[in-house]
Formats: sequence, C-alpha cells, structure tokens
Amino acid sequence: MRVDPERTLTWPSSTLNRLGFGAGVRQDEGMPTPYERPVPPTDTRFAERRVARPTLTRPAEGRVIAGVSAGLAAHLGWSVRWVRILFVVLSIPTGAGLVAYVFLWALTPLSRGGVVDGRRRAVDPADPAAVAGDPVSGDPVSGGPVLEAERDATRVLLVGGLMLALGLVVVAQNAGLNARLGILLPLLVVAAGAVLAWSQLDDRQRGRWLGAESGTRRFSAARLVFGGVLALAGLVIMATRGRSLEAIWDIGAAVVAVLAGIALVAAPWGLRFWSDLRHEQAERARATERADIAAHLHDSVLQTLALIQRKADDPAAVNQLARAQERELRAWLYAGPADSDATLAAAVAEVAHEVEDLHGTPIDVVATGDRPLDDGGLALSRAVREALLNAVRHGQPPVSLYLEVGPLGVEAFVRDHGPGFELEEVPEDRLGVRQSILGRMDRHGGTARVRRLEHGTEVVLTLPAATAAAQPNAAQPSPAQPSPAQSVPATSEETREHA
Amino acid sequence: MNTPEKKPVEVVLVDDHRMFRSGVKAELGGTVTIVGEAPDVDTAVAVITRTRPPVVLLDVHLPGGNGNGGVDVLHGCRGLTTADGQPVRFLALSVSDAAEDVIAVIRAGARGYVTKTIGANDLTRAIQRVADGDAVFSPRLAGFVLDAFGAAAGEIAEVDEELDRLSAREREVMRLIARGYQYKEVAKELFISVKTVETHVSSVLRKLQLSSRHELTAWAMGRRLL
Repeated sequence: MRVDPERTLTWPSSTLNRLGFGAGVRQDEGMPTPYERPVPPTDTRFAERRVARPTLTRPAEGRVIAGVSAGLAAHLGWSVRWVRILFVVLSIPTGAGLVAYVFLWALTPLSRGGVVDGRRRAVDPADPAAVAGDPVSGDPVSGGPVLEAERDATRVLLVGGLMLALGLVVVAQNAGLNARLGILLPLLVVAAGAVLAWSQLDDRQRGRWLGAESGTRRFSAARLVFGGVLALAGLVIMATRGRSLEAIWDIGAAVVAVLAGIALVAAPWGLRFWSDLRHEQAERARATERADIAAHLHDSVLQTLALIQRKADDPAAVNQLARAQERELRAWLYAGPADSDATLAAAVAEVAHEVEDLHGTPIDVVATGDRPLDDGGLALSRAVREALLNAVRHGQPPVSLYLEVGPLGVEAFVRDHGPGFELEEVPEDRLGVRQSILGRMDRHGGTARVRRLEHGTEVVLTLPAATAAAQPNAAQPSPAQPSPAQSVPATSEETREHA
Repeated sequence: MNTPEKKPVEVVLVDDHRMFRSGVKAELGGTVTIVGEAPDVDTAVAVITRTRPPVVLLDVHLPGGNGNGGVDVLHGCRGLTTADGQPVRFLALSVSDAAEDVIAVIRAGARGYVTKTIGANDLTRAIQRVADGDAVFSPRLAGFVLDAFGAAAGEIAEVDEELDRLSAREREVMRLIARGYQYKEVAKELFISVKTVETHVSSVLRKLQLSSRHELTAWAMGRRLL
C-alpha cells in the first residue's frame, strides 16, 4: 500500500499547517488566503481565461517563424492570416510589430501537440488554426517530426531574412537614406543574429524531446555560429561608426578591463547566489518529501492510533489494528518502487494479510524466490488461504507461512501450533475446506497434504514448475512429486490425504 | 532447552527507544540480567567496552556513529572478550524486515537476528543460545539466507566447505527453520541431534559472514561495508 501522490495533494492543509508544513503546501495547492490576495494579476487572469479560451502558447505545429502568430490567433480566436498581416503592417513604419513579435516570442512557452511543460493546453477544436496545418503555406501537419523540423528551420531562415530585409528597406526609404541607417543597420544585424541564436535555443529544447538527429544538430550549430557572428559584426559596426579600427581597440581594452573588474567584484556574490539557489532547491525537495511523509503518516498511523484509543477495551481489535498498520507502514517503507502485484509471492502475501485482517491472528510470512502469477499460482494462493483460515480457526498461534519458489516447482507450508487433530474428529466444514484445498491443487497438477506434528499441524502444498502448470492436468495425482521436498524424510505422523 | 537451569545471562541492551528497552527489561526479568543500556552507537560502544557482557541485544537502526547503526557498534566492539575469555556476542533485534539491513549486521558479526515482535520466552531462549556460542536464525532470516545463496533455485554445494553455497543438509535445516520449526523440531524431522542442527546453523552463519557471493557483496556494498 504505497502512498499515492494524488491523495497526498488533496490533504487538508490545516493538518499540515499544524505539522509545520504550511508554506509549501499552501503554495502547491494554490489555496487562497486573505494574505495572498495581491498575487500577480496574471495568475488569476490566467486561470479565468483558461476556461474561456486556450492558453497563449506557441504551437510547434504549423508555424512559420516561431509560432507567435498562430498561438496568438488561437488564443484570441482570430484568423492566423490577419494576425500575421497585422504584425507585418505594424513592423513596417516603426518596427513596433517586430518588437512585439520578439517580446511575445521570448515570453510565450512553446507547446507541442497541445502540451506545455507537462500541462495540457486546451486546444480549441473549433479553431482550425490551432489544430490543423498552416493556412498560409497550405501545409498540413506533417508526418515525420524530423522532416518537419528541417522544413521549419529552413522556413525560419528564409522568412526571417526576408522580413528583416523588407523592414530594413522600408525603414531606410522612410529615413531618406540618411545617417540613421548607420545605427539601424547594425541594430538590425544584431537583432537578426540574436533571433537566429534564440531560435536555436527553441530547437534545442525540441531536440531534447525528440532525440536530436545529428543532421539537424549540425545545422543548428551552424545557425548558432552564424547568429553569433552576425550579432558580433553588428556590434562592431555600431561601435566603429565613423572611426577607425585602432580607436576601437582602446575602447575594447577598456571595456574588457571594466568587465573583468566587475566579474572580480561580483564573483563572490555570484557564487553565493548559486549556492543559495542549490541550497534552496534541496530544501524544497526535502520539504516536499516531508510533506509526503506527513501526509502518509496522518492518513495511516495517526488514524490507526485514534482508532486504537477508541477501541482500547477490545484487545483483539487493538492487536489487529496494530498489526495491519504495521504491515501497511512496512510495505510503504521497504517496498521497492516496482509494483509486483502480479507475482506469486505477492499474491500469497496478500492472501495471508487478508486472513490476518479477518481473524486478527498474526501470520509470519516468509517467501523465497518468485515467479509471475499464473493459473496454478492463483490456485495455490487460494489453497493457501483455506489452509491459513483453517490454521487460525482451529490451530494456535504462531501461524507461519513459508513459500519457496524454485525452478523445479513451488512449495508452500502453512503451519500452526495447535493441538493437532484426529481425522475422525474433523468437523464437516473443515473436511470440506480440506477437500477444496486438495481438489484445487490436484486440478493444477500439484499436491496437498496435511501433516500432524508434535505441536500443531502443517499443510504442505506443492505445484510443479511453471511450464507444466500452464496446462491444467485434471486427473493426475502426480505420482512422482516434482519438488525438492523429496529429500525431506516422511515421518510416521504424516497423513497423506490421497489415501 | 537442554540446559534449562543456568545462571542468568548478563546482557547489554542497545536500542534507541526507551519504551522498547523498558519493555524488554520487564519481560526478561528473572532469566536475564540487564547490566547496561545504550540509546546510540557511541554510548553503546562505551558501555559494552566497560561491562563486557556475554551477550548484547543490538538494534539494527541506531543514531550516531557513522550512520550505519548496529553495524557501527559491531565494528566498534570488534575483538572484545568477556572476563572469562569468551567473545562478546551480539544478537540483532529489529523491526526492519529489509534483507540488506539484516544481512549487513550478520555479516558484521552478529550471531543471529530476531524481530522485535518475538515473545519473551523465545527471546530468552535466543539469548541463551547466543551466550552458548550458537547462532539464532528466525524464519525470516532463514528465508533471506535461502534467497541469498540461491538455495531455493536449486544451487547446492558439492562440498560442505564451499563458501558460496549451502550444503544439502544446511539447506534442509534452513528450509525447516523458515517453515517455523524450532531447532528441536528440526532435529526430530531430520533424525539428527539438536547439537547437529546447531552445528549446521553455525556453519550457515559462517558462510553468510565469509562468503563473497555476489548477492551478499551487493548488499554489503549498498551499506558501504566494503
């Protein structure tokens, strides 16, 4: 019984607050408290809008440059074409459209297939732009992601270059080809370089999801270098405006010296900031873990303790509760991450726990080896259940169960420390139970026998190896016992049920 | 058991839960003398070194030391002997059913392992047995051993001396213990004496401590014992 994460999240935070986990949980749950009213308004608006219209994201599908237009169109419910035209029109006289585009590009998360950073993006099915392909180029959503990435990249280069050139020419014409071109040209070059480099960042993220192809990686590396060179060239042009390269050299040296000085002064702060960040991350992880544990303890242990207090006058119930809780906690603490419900050992242990819960008698379960649960295993676990019920009803504790799964077969031993029994004195119901144990094991090619020991009774169940058990063999009491139990010498007290 | 009337065994009780310690003290009362108690690794080593008892009841999980709990105590008390020259022996006591915890203390030198839910009589018997130099295997520990040595999968040693496997007889003894049999019952079942059963169990314990079988090594590595 492992704690499930959903349950821990729906935890009454009042309890957790009492335990001192208030802050972390409140944040997780987004609980509105009077003190947190002035949260950034984007948060609340975001939540309201999510119901009404799709979140603003940049879809990776059907985009031309970075998907800003497509995302904005889906978000506002406009046509993509008009949004694009609007951007271009706004870009031409003043460059405002360009700035807005870059701004949105930087701040809007990329989404792929309607999924943003693990969140579902509410794709409006009525909006063809959000779901279907690009209406401008007429492309349908392409099949292969690699192919699409390549085409995307080419489009980015072509359209981006084209748009920049266009804007540049228009701006130059407007300005009458005067000195402003000397500033604007390098600015545009820098912008182009930055755009190229940033789009590279976008693709890097995508490559992480898709498993980067070496071809596209080389292409994007080239793009990064190209973008960087472009930006650098733009900066140099801007700085050298009207001066010679030698003059720039001095300025460059001064700048480097200042930068080095700043780096030297800021280094300790930077380091401390970094370590603080790491520390905080670790702290948060620990807090989450603690909240998890607190949630689980409250769910299980505290509840059980409360129950125990209320049933203090009923020792049997208290014992049963304690036992069940111990088992549950143990399973939670020591169980591996893998769920192994479908194995024989798990099934048999489950059966033992069930009987324990039913009757409150502790059962010691020891199991070695394991195998997947098949028909024979299921029959064995049911027979074990009957044997355990027998043991707790008619025998004395301690009741123990040993299951050994080997390559030659499966053996299960159920033992109690009761007075034992005489076959003649066996009540009808018990005989019936025994019949069901025997019959069940027989039908699956196994055996069952009851041994009377000095102190108590032992039921021995065997099952042949998994391959043989696959075909249920009806009328075959298996004369040769296919199990290692052969080497245990049969004692005179042994009673074979087959007789 | 076979020597019922012995003088009370002196025992040091190492457990970080005061409630559990007082419970054990109340339970064991007459048959065992508690000569010392310790709640953590460092105190435990000090108390054991001072009192040098024949038996130490040792919790697997303890605060202090290098963070390895009972294993640290075992390492800290290595080579200690009682006043009459017997080695100080350890019986591990734990609520943990995790195989690596149990195997780790056994490999570090404990002479046996019992769970904390054990009854007072059984615990007294186990302490007596450890004091006599025998090993104490609970059904669960026997199950771990069968698992670890691949005995359930049919791996049986040709020669008794082979460290990485159990002999056929040792395997039978382990299987019977895992089935919940007392030593006496095991002896009866296999038509051997209780002494022989004890010999087999001790031999399994030795193999468990000395074997380099990779499953054991992996466990030990996980606990940073190597």
